[in-house]
Order: sequence, then structure tokens, then C-alpha cells
Amino acid sequence: MAELRTEEFQVNMGPHHPSTHGVCRLLLTLDGEKIIKVEPYIGYLHRAIEKICENRTYPMCIPILDRFEYVTAMSCNYVFSLAAERLAEIEVPERAEYLRVIMLELNRIASHMIFFGTTVMDIGALTPFLYALREREMIMDLFEMTCGQRLTYNYIRIGGVSRDIPKEFIPKCRETIKTIDEKIEEYKRLLNGNPIWKARTIGIGKLSPELAIAYGASGPILRASGVEYDLRRDDPYSIYDRFDYKIPTYQNGDVYDRYMVRLDEMQESCKIVAQALDGLPEGDIRAKVKPNFKPPEGEVYTRIENSRGEMGVHLISDGTNKPFRLKARGGSFAHLQLLPEISKGCLIADLVAIFASFDVILPEVDR
Amino acid sequence: MTKEELKSYLESNYPELTYSESGKYDLLFIVEAQKLVKTCEKLRDDVKLQFNYLGNISGVDTTENYLTVYQIASISNKLRLDIKVILPHDNPSINSVQSVWPAANWYEREIWELYGIEIHNHDNLTRFLLPDDWDQGHPMRKDWDAPDFIRFPQK
Amino acid sequence: MGLIKKLPVFAEKVPGGGIVTTSIEQVLNFAQAKSLWYLLFGTACCAIELMCTGASRYDFDRLGMIFRASPRQSDLIIVAGTITKKMAPRLRTLYDQMAEPRYVIAMGGCTIKGGPFYYDSYSVEKGIEHIIPVDIYIPGCPPRPESLLEGCLNLSKQIQKRKLGDWQEK
Repeated sequence: MAELRTEEFQVNMGPHHPSTHGVCRLLLTLDGEKIIKVEPYIGYLHRAIEKICENRTYPMCIPILDRFEYVTAMSCNYVFSLAAERLAEIEVPERAEYLRVIMLELNRIASHMIFFGTTVMDIGALTPFLYALREREMIMDLFEMTCGQRLTYNYIRIGGVSRDIPKEFIPKCRETIKTIDEKIEEYKRLLNGNPIWKARTIGIGKLSPELAIAYGASGPILRASGVEYDLRRDDPYSIYDRFDYKIPTYQNGDVYDRYMVRLDEMQESCKIVAQALDGLPEGDIRAKVKPNFKPPEGEVYTRIENSRGEMGVHLISDGTNKPFRLKARGGSFAHLQLLPEISKGCLIADLVAIFASFDVILPEVDR
Repeated sequence: MTKEELKSYLESNYPELTYSESGKYDLLFIVEAQKLVKTCEKLRDDVKLQFNYLGNISGVDTTENYLTVYQIASISNKLRLDIKVILPHDNPSINSVQSVWPAANWYEREIWELYGIEIHNHDNLTRFLLPDDWDQGHPMRKDWDAPDFIRFPQK
Repeated sequence: MGLIKKLPVFAEKVPGGGIVTTSIEQVLNFAQAKSLWYLLFGTACCAIELMCTGASRYDFDRLGMIFRASPRQSDLIIVAGTITKKMAPRLRTLYDQMAEPRYVIAMGGCTIKGGPFYYDSYSVEKGIEHIIPVDIYIPGCPPRPESLLEGCLNLSKQIQKRKLGDWQEK
């Protein structure tokens, strides 16, 4: 039989595509099912958050930054508050630090739940999505109890947190993390032995540690490639040094490992929340900060470990009550840049799996 | 290596870097635009430092100058450093650090697009955040304005 | 006979037979109001709330609402999230690709008037009403799933009041 002649052709994936998790356009150059080249086109959600923050006072920036990375809005609140606190050298009360850690870790679990649900759904299993969002609602209840919102919290403020937790929070929180810890075991039982799931994920989208570091990958993606690097431990902030937790690291750097890192991380977060609840002291929840907050001149770049890697804020103050320049950095920006490198030669269906495993969320890319 | 040790190490071994007081938490050094790429290469390949990770590049418009600030880190040695380059306000241009850290690609594209700072030796300098038919200049500049741009009302 | 009792008030029962007489208009309206398939179009924060509404606790399916990834198969587009100037032509294209009769729900502040991005933003469309016609507005940033559900129920009521000739006018 004569060899079949094939031709390259281009396909647009997005900007409206269910598995791009938002509005990202990938221009694929294909040879049959095989991918020759991927070019991401972004900017469909470019909302000019950085420009807006230049014309807002410091407390007014926090709700805007909530929308910078809405799946873990607590981290956005926190990274900005931390930057302002480092500029003005504000001491945060103990109780506020504990509350912040509880909220950050609960938010990390909620975010990884979204990852788990959508990734598994993209690969073809619908049931885990319903399971994951069921457990996420329990965390949403806790957030509603504390700050009245489900998604954009505006809870962590400069110098502390906006309000104290209600009485019934602690027992409910303990129950929640206990349930979630058990449920994650159930997720693992549900999927890890599934031959279809394994075939779709193991060995797909391999990322070497050298490439990951060179392209600025961080968070779970870096750890799935065998680099044990966690900003909570390696660039310490808040009170994370008081808790006992492991940093899950896997060696292969494929889709399966990125998924496993996140599942393990959720369990570690449960441990941190339990310890923080045990150690929660009484006291103030907010340092004295003037309503018209004016940090001294200077600049600072703070970075924290978000569920999507390094989240950073570069804040420049000129001594007035508005930031002179605010640059927000999200992990997804670097990860999306990495996508063309590791998806060469794979199939379109695998590209969906790789994209999902990066857990890219577009507002963080476009801002 | 603590911050003080890093500071004294950089001051003694890197004459091209000048310490700046304005960095509040991490160390901030200023470097001349011509020496940027060489210095970055040296910082990355220095066995004692190994700044192999580029976190972020921010562009800044101070109305007198343009700045580009490189936030770099060392994963193996757990260090952090900021490097700042001061550019003139007229025809700002800078060399790409893509050859040092491939991650710089998109950050530099963004600076080129939003601030209008020319990047030399960049392999893919095309529009990506703004609409394809955008013709209103570089919106992150402080003096930028457009007819449908509404400022937040001031008291 | 239990089933007949559950049918809406427009049905006229013919005694002794399994026949129901009604108008085409009412049957069509009833069918569409109870099976609004929506286009999965989430751009920003509201998309997460849309997802939650579709999932376990709030459960869109009980209203007969199932998500579709293709505009050709959907009756309703829920615009969930900020629409930027770059995205606006794509939204119009998607709307044009949907078959008549089609409906639009604007979910969240951004789609109503730009929301928190009204001031100081150079790239956000200030409301979607000049891109596509909107039937229901749901305020909030983001709206809670309950308010989204109420919006959908209101749309469903609107559809049941619709006249057959209304389709072409829009």
C-alpha cells in the first residue's frame, strides 16, 4: 500500500472552549491528531487590574485584587496585605496570623477541589466533579460564616483580618476537615486504580525539573517534577514554621504526578488547619492601622505559596495613600508559557489533559 | 547565606551592582542597562548563588524614567534578589534576558506592549494582552489617556 | 389520570380518552421553558458560581437545565463574567450561532455595567447590552447560586407567556 500523504493544518482551540477553563485561545498546528506546535493567545480577560489599583487607596485595592485570582481570593488578599505590612513594618497580632493561616489553607483545599473536579471531568469522568464540589460547598459555608461571601472575600486586611470568627466556626471547621480528609482517601480509591485514568495520565506531558525551573514553574507543578521547593518553608512568611506538615514531592513530572501532588497537599492542608485550630490564641484580630493608610516610600516584592504556585505582588509606594505601581504575578502566567514546550508531539486529547493538569486560570494570566 | 552575607558577597564580587536603599524587605541592586545580560548570566552561573529562577519582571513608569525590575530567586540556595534597571524616558530600550532565563519571554512581551519599552534580541515580540486592532498606545504609561477611559472620581 | 392532573392549566381534558387538546404555542412554550439548555460560557469569577450552581448542592438539572458546549445546541447563553474589548466580538459570534428562539442572561456586575472595572479600566466593555440583547440581569459580584436560580426561573416564566409571533421580532 502506498504511504498516505498527510498535510499540516491549523485549528483554533478557544477562546470559548470548555476545557480551556476560561477564555484562552490555543492555535494548534496539527498533523492528523498529532500536535506540531501550540501557540497560546491570551488577553481575552485582560481587565487592567494593575492600572485600576494605581488609582485606588490601599484598602480599596483588596477587593479589586480579589478578582485577580478568584479561586483563591484569600491568597490575593493576603499577599497584598503582606506587601503593605512589610512596607510599613506593621506587626500583626497572633490571633490574626492564626486566622489567616486557617483561611489560606481552607482556600487552598477549595481551589484544589476545583482542580480535581474539572481535570477529571476534562479527561472524561463526570462523577468526581460532583463529589469535589459537594465537599467544596462545606468550605464555602465556613467562609460565608466568617466574611459573608462565597468567592471574593475581602477578609484579610492590612494589619489583620476584618472580623473574628463566630463561635460555631471551630466545631464546624473540625468536622469539615475531618470529612474532607476521609473523602480524599475515597477519591484516591476511586481513581488511582482505574486503568482508563492511568492510561490517560501516566507518562503524559512529562516535564523535566531543569525545564520547569528555567521557565519559572512553581508550586505543585515544580514539586511534581521532583524539586522540593515550597515557599511556606523556603521563603518563610506568616507562622508556617510552627506547624508540622510534609511537602509532597513526586518524581515523574507527568499529569498523574501533578494530580497526586495536589491530592496529597489537600491532606497536608487539613493537618495544618487542625493544628492552627488547636493553637488558636485569644486576643486582637487587627493591628492599629489608620484608615488613611500611607506606607513610607520604598518597594517590596512579596511572594507566597498559592495553590497555583508562586503568587507575588510587587508594590512601589511613593508615600501617598495610593500604590504608585502594583504588579501582580500569578503562577499560571509562567505555566501557560510552558505549555508549547511540553505538548509537542502529543495528541489533542493529551493536550487537554496537560492543560487541565497545569490548573491554569485565566484571570491570573491576563490580569 | 543570610541577607547580610549575600549583600556583602555581591558588593565585593559584583562591582557592576549598586545597592539601593529603596528595597524594603529583599535586597535591591541597580545595574546599568548595557551590563544587564552579562550580570544576569554571572548571577545564574555563580556556584555560590545559582540564581536560576526568574519570578517576575515588572515595568514601571516613574514619569521621569522607565524601570524594569527583575525579581529572581535561587531554588537550591533559597535566596532572593531584585535587580533594577533605570531607562531614559525617551526611546527606552533594553536587551532581552531570554537567553539567561527562558521564562522572561512573556514578561518582556508584556512590558513591550503595555509600556512601550523596546526589547532587543527578543524572538517573539507580538501583541498578546490587548486587542489585535488596538491603536491607542501603551496604556500602562502614567500619562496615557483615551476618550472612553473614565477615571475614578476623586473627593 | 395522575399525569393529566400534573399537566399545566392550559390542557383541556377530553372525557374518557387519552387525548389532550391545546395550542401549539403553549406546548412549545412549555417544552422550552422546562428544558433550557445553556451554553457553557464562563469568562471570570461568575463562572465558578455557575459551576457550583450546576453541581451537587444547587443542581441545575432539576430545572431541566443542562450545559452544552456548543452554541448550536443551546437555547440560553449565561454570560458569566467580565467581557473585555477583545472578547466582545467572540460573544457576538457565539450569540449569532445560536438558533432562534434564544435567550440571554447577564450574570454579575461586569456584564451589567462593567462592575468593579467600570472606572480606570482601558480594556473592559462597560456592559454587554450593546453587544447582545439581554433578557434577564442578575446583579451581584458574583451573584449567589440562589440568585442565579431565581433568574432562570424568571426567564422560564417569561418564556411561558411568550406568543408565537414574538420569535421573529427579536
